[in-house]
Amino acid sequence: MIVMRQKPVTEIRDMVARHRRVLLVGCNTCAAVALAGGEKEVGTLAEILRLAMWRQGSQVIFEGALLQRQCEPEYVMQLDAEGYDALLSLGCGAGVSLLAAMIDVPVYPALDTMFIGVSQGLASWEAECSACGQCVLGKTAGICPITRCAKGILNGPCGGVSDGRCELGDRDCAWVLIHERLEHFGRTEEIAEIAEPKDHSIHTKCPAFGIVGMEESDPGEKP
Amino acid sequence: MCATNAIHMHAIREGTTRLSAPCRARCPVHIDVPGYLSAIADGRFTDALEIVLERNPLPSVCGRICLRPCEEGCRRCLLDEPVAIAQLKRAAADFGAYPVRKRSFPRPESIAIVGSGPTGLTAAYDLVSWGMHATILESEPLLGGMLRYGIPSFRLPDYALDRDIDHILSLGAEAKTRVRVGRDVTVSELAEENDAVLVAVGLPLSRTPPIPGAELPGVMSALPLLAAISRGERVEVGSRVVVVGGGNAAIDVARTVRRLGATKVHLVYRRTRQEMPASEQEVKEAEREGVTLHCSLGPVSIVGDDRVRALIAARCTSIPGEGRRAEPTIDEEQVTRFEADTIVFAIGQAADVTDLALPLTPRGALEVDPLALRSPAEKVYVAGDVISGATTVIDAIAAGHRVAALIYRDLTGDARPLEQLDEESAVLGKVPDAMASKLETRRRIMMERLEYFESVQSFEEIESGYTEYEAAREAQRCLSCTSGARLTREKCASCLTCMRVCPHGVPMLQLGGYLYFDADTCHACGACASQCPAQAIALEGHSEDEMIQRVQRQLTNTSLETTLMFACGSTPILPNIAPGDTRTLTVTCLLRASERTVLRALQEGATRVVFAGCVESTCRFPHARKFVRQRAARITALLEALGMTDAFFLAEYDDALDWHLP
Ligand SMILES: Cc1cc2nc3c(=O)[nH]c(=O)nc-3n(C[C@H](O)[C@H](O)[C@H](O)COP(=O)(O)OP(=O)(O)OC[C@H]3O[C@@H](n4cnc5c(N)ncnc54)[C@H](O)[C@@H]3O)c2cc1C
Ligand code: SF4
Ligand code: SF4
Ligand code: SF4
Ligand code: SF4
Repeated sequence: MIVMRQKPVTEIRDMVARHRRVLLVGCNTCAAVALAGGEKEVGTLAEILRLAMWRQGSQVIFEGALLQRQCEPEYVMQLDAEGYDALLSLGCGAGVSLLAAMIDVPVYPALDTMFIGVSQGLASWEAECSACGQCVLGKTAGICPITRCAKGILNGPCGGVSDGRCELGDRDCAWVLIHERLEHFGRTEEIAEIAEPKDHSIHTKCPAFGIVGMEESDPGEKP
Repeated sequence: MCATNAIHMHAIREGTTRLSAPCRARCPVHIDVPGYLSAIADGRFTDALEIVLERNPLPSVCGRICLRPCEEGCRRCLLDEPVAIAQLKRAAADFGAYPVRKRSFPRPESIAIVGSGPTGLTAAYDLVSWGMHATILESEPLLGGMLRYGIPSFRLPDYALDRDIDHILSLGAEAKTRVRVGRDVTVSELAEENDAVLVAVGLPLSRTPPIPGAELPGVMSALPLLAAISRGERVEVGSRVVVVGGGNAAIDVARTVRRLGATKVHLVYRRTRQEMPASEQEVKEAEREGVTLHCSLGPVSIVGDDRVRALIAARCTSIPGEGRRAEPTIDEEQVTRFEADTIVFAIGQAADVTDLALPLTPRGALEVDPLALRSPAEKVYVAGDVISGATTVIDAIAAGHRVAALIYRDLTGDARPLEQLDEESAVLGKVPDAMASKLETRRRIMMERLEYFESVQSFEEIESGYTEYEAAREAQRCLSCTSGARLTREKCASCLTCMRVCPHGVPMLQLGGYLYFDADTCHACGACASQCPAQAIALEGHSEDEMIQRVQRQLTNTSLETTLMFACGSTPILPNIAPGDTRTLTVTCLLRASERTVLRALQEGATRVVFAGCVESTCRFPHARKFVRQRAARITALLEALGMTDAFFLAEYDDALDWHLP
């Protein structure tokens, strides 16, 4: 899942302060699950922004709406944004972008999109994937070096490792973990294989990326 | 003495049947018990009273003398003791304000009601609430039936009865006292002048046994004796009194004669103690007041000359399993002699219906269709003890509701009130072991009462009622059965937060990522609802919007420095935070005040919001405390970012100062 967290409320306040009527748009998929942009957060954020504006003596109206997913045009089409002069998205970057593309008023992000991660229990996530476009997890025993290695190197560890800890001090060395797990599966010899550099041009093909055989389809059309 | 009912989980999952708490299911009028208890737990006595009044027009009465079938079903029975459901109803009536409604009679029908006992009063209450005219005719000088002239004032004082009756009259019910129907006006005259006549005349006569000496001076019957006392008449009973009987009336007579100065009071009952129809608690209290119980003894004769001298009673053997009707066999060889100045018979009540000139059965009872509650006489309905035999107040109230609903349907064709009475519901099962092991034992809070030696000195009311604090605390013992988490599936984002938050494993993951909340195990703490990002979880009787409305009501006419204090209903002594203008809103748990609610309060005129209480030793939902802290931290951080550093804080209190801990 995509993990997000709310921006500082002052930053949000300053982004929207010049508008008159702002619609907060939540997302009931990842943003809700990340406890950052579901119905509850839309309500709370609207309230604190009202309070902030009232303290500054400015008149800005904040109202809330919720989409099932902000990253799907069909859902965005359900949004009634009539009469608002700005949108404040409580979705990930994809949600903000789609709203901006489809709705003709300025759209601002209320959240910072952090990473693709896994849940660590209540209100806690860990990054596990950086959406690099050429997955290497098959070779690295399911541990992502791009995400979990501070330097994102494909052949590791580097010289900064000591006692299994990264020299940054905030994490275990991803490459030590990879070596240990490969060893566990009896795949020690694969460690010696040198990984080739990634083809970063793949990212430039985005966003015109489609499922093979469906390149021509447009979003509104039924297959 | 707890029994639980099987549940029909399937029907509940499918949403076809309403789910009831067992207390509610056992209450003959199905009062929303968890609803009013949770209002009391919040300190909202007026709300509680309104919930009770939806189904029971006599909360002040029933709060004192109801025999509480509900408590036998209470799910707390298996843990410690049932919640004091009935006594808390009294607290609602003591501290809540009875609603004031404009009298209005949009309907033209008028109904005459003969008898002002609980049956007649309830029917009048319903009929005027539905817009009809109702006039009660009562032969006695005051209204109330057995509540006034039977049940003694040390259990039910007049002021407590008058509270309920005044409320019913304020709604527009008319009453004419000292009118004896059958003598001063006939039933057929009433039927001519009205659209319906309800006969709810109860059982005003006492039975006496056909034994030698029963006509001697000094032999009395229970009901005339009790009625004379409630009218304030002087009755001489001497110092030695024998009371014959085993029902509540017998116990009331025994306790009454103790107060009239009798020092030796013997209660003689022909069956075993287990078979006594009187409530166990009343029997115990009578014993503590000095009444001596003699079971398995039946009266055979009364000895006397110009007045009674003694009762002769013989040993009786009743055959268990033969039911009430089977006569015990008397062994004339084994007799006991009780010296007595007065003998009172309390062996049963009888109807007095000959004057009414209505069709009778061969045995002399009113002839009634038991389903339609109608007499063969046109427009005449019959209900209450007069047809059911001696029951209890709450049964009489249920009878009043039923007959009113039937009258309403017959006159208007609208059967909705009747359907509501017959609505089926499944009953929540017993507390599962997994839940029981997590619940703390909490003894029932005993109500302040007169000492036994004091209580027999006068007719003063024995129980003085809970204080507001005691009532709230006792109400917090309620497990809020069926008032727990309820999911709106369409809104759920399948985030699993509720599963992670709930300490009792209530939300269970189902195929498709949906959650299923097991009502049997839910403690109704609200932790999940407070964290659900999709606001997909609701708690019965609580909504954020209503909470905001309560806030707005509290914040009318604020000053420049108004503090709004959300007070945890579980915390006995609240910190003395701000002198001056502080408005207090008591909540079941501080988690019911959401971030949004707090932020809104600051825009509605509160200068400062305080979360007060949340003390570990008295907390009702200990696992919820960390979420209260987390919420407080979040609100503080949000406000601090705006430079509002003292607009909100959490004020706990020192555990050591909690004087009310058991
Ligand atoms: C001593 C005693 C103690 C009890 N204690 C309890 C208790 O603790 N808890 C409990 O739940 N129940 C108790 N009960 C039972 C309860 O009081 C009755 O079940 C209940 O009052 C029956 O209600 P009702 O309306 O049918 O009749 P009643 O209450 O008997 O009312 C009938 C009314 O009709 C009036 N009336 C009769 N004939 C006429 C007429 N011709 N014209 C005009 N008016 C007439 C009577 O004066 C009376 O006011 C007790 C009963 C007794 C006798
Ligand atoms: S715990 Fe409360 S809701 Fe549950 S049965 Fe007892 S009184 Fe009723
Ligand atoms: S916390 Fe709310 S949104 Fe998340 S799974 Fe539970 S009910 Fe669904
Ligand atoms: S968290 Fe509390 S209210 Fe929610 S399901 Fe669990 S016990 Fe019930
Ligand atoms: S968690 Fe705190 S606020 Fe909630 S009931 Fe317990 S003590 Fe009260």
